[in-house]
Amino acid sequence: MFQVSSMKQVAAGLLAAAAFLSSSPLVQAADLEAGKTLSQTCVACHGPGGNSIIPGTPSISGSAAQAISMQLFNYREGNRKNAQMSPMAENLTNPEMNNLAAYFASEKVAPPTHQASAESIKVGPALTAQYNCTQCHGPALKGIQHIPRLAGQQYEYLLAQLQGFKAHTRYDMDGNMTSAMSAVKESDIPILADYIAALEYK
Amino acid sequence: MQFKFALSALALAIALPAFAQTPAPAAPPPAWKQGMDNTAQPATLHPFAPIMTGTEAKDIQLSKLKVAPGFKVEVWTDGIPTARSMAIGDKGTVFVGNRVGKNVVAITEKDGKRSVKIILKGLDTPNGIVYSKGTLFVAERTKITRYDNIEANLDNPGAGKLVVDGLDPTNGPGHNWKYLAMGPDGKLYFNIGSPENITMPLYNQAAILRADTTTGQLERVATGVRNSVGMDFHPVTKKLWFTEHARDWMGEDIPNDELNVLSKEGENFGFPFCHQGDIPDPIYGKYDTCANSTPPALKLGAHVAPLGMKFYTGSMFPAEYKNNILMARHGSWNKTKKLGYDLMRVVLDSNGKVEKYEPFVTGFMTDDMADPPMWGRPVDVLQLPDGSILFSDDYNGVIYRVSYSK
Repeated sequence: MFQVSSMKQVAAGLLAAAAFLSSSPLVQAADLEAGKTLSQTCVACHGPGGNSIIPGTPSISGSAAQAISMQLFNYREGNRKNAQMSPMAENLTNPEMNNLAAYFASEKVAPPTHQASAESIKVGPALTAQYNCTQCHGPALKGIQHIPRLAGQQYEYLLAQLQGFKAHTRYDMDGNMTSAMSAVKESDIPILADYIAALEYK
Repeated sequence: MQFKFALSALALAIALPAFAQTPAPAAPPPAWKQGMDNTAQPATLHPFAPIMTGTEAKDIQLSKLKVAPGFKVEVWTDGIPTARSMAIGDKGTVFVGNRVGKNVVAITEKDGKRSVKIILKGLDTPNGIVYSKGTLFVAERTKITRYDNIEANLDNPGAGKLVVDGLDPTNGPGHNWKYLAMGPDGKLYFNIGSPENITMPLYNQAAILRADTTTGQLERVATGVRNSVGMDFHPVTKKLWFTEHARDWMGEDIPNDELNVLSKEGENFGFPFCHQGDIPDPIYGKYDTCANSTPPALKLGAHVAPLGMKFYTGSMFPAEYKNNILMARHGSWNKTKKLGYDLMRVVLDSNGKVEKYEPFVTGFMTDDMADPPMWGRPVDVLQLPDGSILFSDDYNGVIYRVSYSK
């Protein structure tokens, strides 16, 4: 599976992520060290290792590399717009995005800081199944490939994205989230965000 | 007025106790999941997406690809994220459109060096492109535009001229990306897909249409086509052959995707009433019989997701490849044990009957039960003047060349 030439490019961080790398040809070739060097700007807002402690700023650790590079791409191309993020992504090349994505994908997810209400914890599992969250994001909502990790994500960020998809204002490449959110009751959105933000990544 | 009020109050009084005892009616399912309730397929299947930032040529594992002896696959160019449909100009410019991006790119060659240039920006789902007599036609979600004398104006193609508009009647989710082909009659052929997985389409949906390139006059040439994202005309008979994606959520192994051939204008291919020529739809099957639609020329396998197809007319490949169909199978996510992610070869006899259906390029799928099962997804096929072929891979944003030498 591993090619000699790409093994040389990948530094010490590789071993820790070997299990993940073996299933992803993209990450296999990305340069974790180069990604880590570039990440200094990102962690100022997204937190050490991409674990955000700023309300409304998403954590970016633990998603698959494909999901992270896709969002960087969306900001660069103007599909998603944000006063902080758009300029950050503006001048990144595709290989730089791939390296950054590989680095944050390999970082450990910090335990959630959000505390959910007892009611959200009770109804959350049934709601996330009923509304098809688990079909794509996985039974533990950890995400896969281009589908982002949700478990333990910032509450305010989750809330804003879900409301954005519901209102058709959040960019949606393939229409799946807009479509999924069309079936979600407005009053269930804060419950979903509350439950998911407190969900441990495991 | 009072009588009406009394009646509605009475109705409310009757309805209320019943409503209180039963839960609120479930919201309708999202478009992609629609029709899923009558299957035993697992609810853990999820869609795939391209790597939006692409994969560099050095990271493409060419040695994994398998072809017959004498054939060779190489990376022709990388750096075209989400590359989909391709077309070639008279001067050799290769044009590439895409489905999830907004650009059309041109690849030119000078002194043996290829360069990639974005020529059209800010388009809406420019999946359909075709070149004819100096003009590049681009089919977006809602319209088709022509860019005349394109190869002389790659740096400034202008805004183009509108051929036809209003091609997305519902402006909702659904199969709204188009494939574009130039007919032997000089008219543009393209699909408008079904707005949902399985539904009763509007008049101009689930159809293949034809547009006059100057007047924009539209005609329906084929109906009952759920979605076709690949078509070409037989070099001898001039008949239209096209691939079609069948509905999802009826099962792991049914219904088959289809290779179809159009024998008369306005012919019906069954959707949504009948699938693969012989399976009535569980919902719509009661409204029509399979006998009223044309069965496929070839059942391609369930959920293989056939896309671009071209008749091979070159002289580089062995003589038995002449007039064969080379077809890209994108491979799909709606099935537990995955299938596709390859190029197939379809051999027809002199009567246009399918004689053989066999792999042409394989190796993108590494484990049919893994997630993801593949590392590349073929989309469209294009023949070069030297008789070699190109095929696009939107997952990696790479175009490959297949050549042959003894």
